[in-house]
Amino acid sequence: MELKVCVGSACHLKNSRVVIEEFKRLISENNLEGEITLMGSFCMGKCGEKGVSVMAGNEFYSVIPEETETFFNEKVRGRL
Amino acid sequence: MSGKIYVDAAYKSVNKYTEELCGDRVEIVRNDDCCIVVLSDGLGSGVKANILSTLTSKIISTMMEQGSSIEDTVDTIVHTLPVCSVRNVAYSTFVILKIGYDGKTYLAEFDSPGCIFVRNGKLMPILYKTREIWGKTIKEARFDVEVGDTLTIMSDGVIYAGIGALLNLGWSFENVAEFMAKRSRTETTAARLAAALSETCCDLYMDKPGDDTTAASVKIIPYMPVCLFTGPPQNPEDDETAVCDFMKTEGVKVVAGGSTANIVSRILDVKIETNLDYIDYDVPPTAEMKGIDLVTEGVLTLKKTVDILKEYFNNPTERKNIDEMDKEHGAAKLAKILAEECTHVNLFVGKKINPAHQNPNMPIDLSIRMRVVDDLISVLKLGGKVINAKYY
Repeated sequence: MELKVCVGSACHLKNSRVVIEEFKRLISENNLEGEITLMGSFCMGKCGEKGVSVMAGNEFYSVIPEETETFFNEKVRGRL
Repeated sequence: MSGKIYVDAAYKSVNKYTEELCGDRVEIVRNDDCCIVVLSDGLGSGVKANILSTLTSKIISTMMEQGSSIEDTVDTIVHTLPVCSVRNVAYSTFVILKIGYDGKTYLAEFDSPGCIFVRNGKLMPILYKTREIWGKTIKEARFDVEVGDTLTIMSDGVIYAGIGALLNLGWSFENVAEFMAKRSRTETTAARLAAALSETCCDLYMDKPGDDTTAASVKIIPYMPVCLFTGPPQNPEDDETAVCDFMKTEGVKVVAGGSTANIVSRILDVKIETNLDYIDYDVPPTAEMKGIDLVTEGVLTLKKTVDILKEYFNNPTERKNIDEMDKEHGAAKLAKILAEECTHVNLFVGKKINPAHQNPNMPIDLSIRMRVVDDLISVLKLGGKVINAKYY
């Protein structure tokens, strides 16, 4: 599955870097490298949302950086 | 324009140990046809020397730029410079280097150590003629330069570097010339050349220069255009026109802006691959796109680029400022392209305001693309670049 994190201006300021680092850590800790491809993306056009724009597969989510782990466990792992 | 050459010029002065002011002065002026570099070394050191050399270089560069002859220029200097009460002379050395964008070069020297002319890593002889103007012996030379040639002029502090300490008689013109010939093969810009020479002089003086020490380098570079596309057009119907204008203009292609990159990707039907490596936490990652040389995020990156360029153009021979551009993040890469690999900048600027960026919860930085673009234009002009801007 593709996991895309927006690194556009607005998401950058909302700390998309933290979300990416958390994803990297969680993917490697759970040995999911074979199943998840972590990618970056420019503006997804949802700058008005509260969190960082993330696409998991075809589904759009807005992720608060501090809640990345919960999101990963609930939404990402749930879809595998 | 393509057949023309362009001139990259930079200098570095180091003050005599304990002096607050420099007695050497360099002026670099450009107009549509040529670049003129004037280096002057005023008699003595400190305030007096500073005033003499400033007057000399300023008068020469202004008059020559306006097309005055060397006779008139020297005449003006002789009758303007204040006479030193101690030595009873009005004296300041000078070197004038006038390089036309057709390659025709004019060199005039008065009491200066000389000019180092390097082509393909080898020293080139300069054939001088001498003549007297108002009792001063002026050495003149006319020759043609080609892309890749470097020319270096200096104050005598350079050739005397290390005198009486590390080197009995100082570094000498011959040794400096050999050093510059060697360095011309590895240093890519005028600023890097001048910095290398000045740093070596400081080493030879063991960081306590016995005289004001100034090196000015010139590198003949080809016409190097860069095209920078930033911001979505105000009216989406103009997207295609903007992308077409951008792509068909000659030059290195840079896209700064996520939404802008998305537009280019849509119209050219090429994929964007965003990098995930954060080299600098302040600068968002770059992306790869076939046919585009550099793809970066927009406003934040441009703002950082402007900061880097401001520091650099204010002091291009400062090592710290050069190193800043050798970093790997998007803003440094863009700054390096604009500062070192470019003579003409074609800007394609979309005026659309991203509504999401106007959210009062977002930092102010995001809403100011147009201001950042204006800042970019003024800093590039400071760096001697020729700017062409188109707005959509």
